[in-house]
Amino acid sequence: MTEGRNHIPTTRSGTDVELVIKNAHVLDPSGNLDGVMDVRVAGGRIAEVGENLAGGREIAADGLHLFPGFVDVHAHWRSPGQEHRESIESGSGAAAAGGFTGVVMMPNTDPVVDRPVVVSGLVRRAGRESRVRAYVSAALHVGLAGERLTEMKLLKEAGALCVSDDGLGTQRASVLRSGMLYARSAGLPVILHCEDHTLATGVVHEGRHSALTGLPGTPASAEDVATAAGLILAAETGAKVHITHVSTGLSAALVGFFKKLGIADVTSDTTPHHLTLTDELVATLEGLYRVNPPLRPKKDLNAVREALSDGTFDFVATDHAPHASHEKDLPLEEANPGFLGHETAFAAIYTELVLSGRLSLRRLVEAMSCAPGRWVGEGGGLAVGGPADIALVDLTEEWTVERRTLLSKSENSPYRGRRLTGRVAGTIVGGEFVYNARDIAGVGFGVRA
Amino acid sequence: MRNFLTVEGLNRESLREVIETAQDFASGRFGNDVLSGRTVCLAFFESSTRTAVSFELAARRNGAFVISLSEKGSSISKGESLVDTVVTLDALGADAMVLRHPAAGAARLAAQHTAAAVINAGDGCGQHPTQALLDLYALAEARGGFDELEGEKIAVVGDVLHSRVARSIIPAFQAAGAEVAVCAPATLLPAEAGAWGIPVLDSIDEALAWGAEALYMLRLQNERMTGALVPSVAEYSRFYGVQRHHLSADPELLVMHPGPVNRGVEIAGDVVMDERSLIKSQVAAGVHVRSAVLALATGAVERIAV
Ligand SMILES: [Zn+2]
Repeated sequence: MTEGRNHIPTTRSGTDVELVIKNAHVLDPSGNLDGVMDVRVAGGRIAEVGENLAGGREIAADGLHLFPGFVDVHAHWRSPGQEHRESIESGSGAAAAGGFTGVVMMPNTDPVVDRPVVVSGLVRRAGRESRVRAYVSAALHVGLAGERLTEMKLLKEAGALCVSDDGLGTQRASVLRSGMLYARSAGLPVILHCEDHTLATGVVHEGRHSALTGLPGTPASAEDVATAAGLILAAETGAKVHITHVSTGLSAALVGFFKKLGIADVTSDTTPHHLTLTDELVATLEGLYRVNPPLRPKKDLNAVREALSDGTFDFVATDHAPHASHEKDLPLEEANPGFLGHETAFAAIYTELVLSGRLSLRRLVEAMSCAPGRWVGEGGGLAVGGPADIALVDLTEEWTVERRTLLSKSENSPYRGRRLTGRVAGTIVGGEFVYNARDIAGVGFGVRA
Repeated sequence: MRNFLTVEGLNRESLREVIETAQDFASGRFGNDVLSGRTVCLAFFESSTRTAVSFELAARRNGAFVISLSEKGSSISKGESLVDTVVTLDALGADAMVLRHPAAGAARLAAQHTAAAVINAGDGCGQHPTQALLDLYALAEARGGFDELEGEKIAVVGDVLHSRVARSIIPAFQAAGAEVAVCAPATLLPAEAGAWGIPVLDSIDEALAWGAEALYMLRLQNERMTGALVPSVAEYSRFYGVQRHHLSADPELLVMHPGPVNRGVEIAGDVVMDERSLIKSQVAAGVHVRSAVLALATGAVERIAV
């Protein structure tokens, strides 16, 4: 297995078993592969991609698509401290079921991941318990409080991949600026959750549905003002900045503008739910549909879709945010914000955007595998010698999202009850199956009933 | 059983039915034991004197057994979950639950967890349906009947943004056939006030120029009167308060307010008690309307309309 920087080796990697995955439709935009082929895996790495390969255990993948494993730079596995919602074990199980082979864990846990000892503890636990490659994002400021810088150089030594004040965002521009300067010198990218708390006083998008329901609204400017500030400071400080869960048309345009100027080292993502759901859902007043940033109206949805398809957004991240039922089965104003994301990400986007012709499958694989894989420095392609991190997907399978079959500890999927097309059949990390819904060729364990 | 969670979705005929049932209660047609044998729970997660007293009076006057839980007492401790309380009341055999809660959607959520009829007595900035029904009742009485509401032009004035009363009376008046406009400074209007598809006006004078025949004044909360939302009480009352000269200008003009009134802010002191202010009859209508709602919800009085 490749010693990528800062990744946490999984327990299920570096296997000696040789596999030949036969007759899958291989699609890897980074290597310009698109066609029915075989993939040979040896020593946990991609050994060969081509036709009529042999050697090792053969896996019949007829009818399946084979992509580089998906990589998610934004997930909440709730460890340490909130394991009633999710654990590294359950979160990584859910990730594997969604075809993810690498996941960045966000630091807004209890305790916050803001000290080297917490990072190293998390690295050790993930090494024991995670099915997929797990990466640690540490906090940018102690306690996410936006006051004192974390010990970023020590955090990096302890194994942190990046820093972020996710969940809150850094509220004062001067503090964010010095955080970015320090992160640059520590060699850590900064993931920005853009939200201005003086504007973000509501629980849903301020618009038609907040007006009709009386739910307190937060204007889109709460995100846009912070996005603009983050981009301006990124340009000035030279920090490597990733703007996460962009949800408005104006923020997308701002990101595009700075990319065009070329003065900031910036990447960005949006989420499956901001690509597929609108704020009409909050008319139900159900706690399930509270999320931050909030679901937006159609015009933002369309702008966000456009920004993903034209490359303004580099990739998709799920913001997988599990909450226990008693934290969601509440009036919307009182419910915790957040959705599950791992298990439905690919199918939701495939169903809503690819099948309807709004997004190419190739672009989706770039956005879920290649680009985020490059960002974390590992995976994201099927290059010979690289890690054998693979998602096998049946693009024809139709399924209904049901709370009972979700592998997450929590049930707060906004797609509950929906019919989706495209389902992950198997996930391979470092050459070994970590998810094998169909017990493909009898090589793995059937995780899904 | 029938829940009263929101005014939305109630059509003209169902509104008429409730109003006419309330009129029957007012005339004493049902005697005083129409709810005997029924258990009505008043669960107030947020304090409210007027609404609680009005519901309690309505339930007791008609012979119901009443259980009161209030946020101030120990019964509903802070943090006790709404669902837990509702499940408990359900197990105790409540026929109706009257619910006041600080979050929009609370009544709807409660209704999913009980077989009792849930009556929304105000949830967050969401809905306050019985307030809307009593307002319809009071205005209908003043105009000489429910059908007289057809075509009535009503301006809803003040803090529309934070008002569950506004969110209930706008669809209720519309369903009754009235024409409704909102009138407030932009800071007290929802970002998309156009969501209701009604005119947005900027002063009482504009409302009168639009042809308003009734002004429905919303209460301005103290914390919103100064500072970032309204520059000063003086400026607010000058542009959005009803003055004597407004009444003089139009002999048909009626003034309504859900109470309690900030005298001199929403309504000039000498206008509050004017005969063209419906405030007192709104309060009186409250008990009749709530009697009707409890009786219809528990099935004590048979419904006519669907
Ligand atoms: Zn975030």
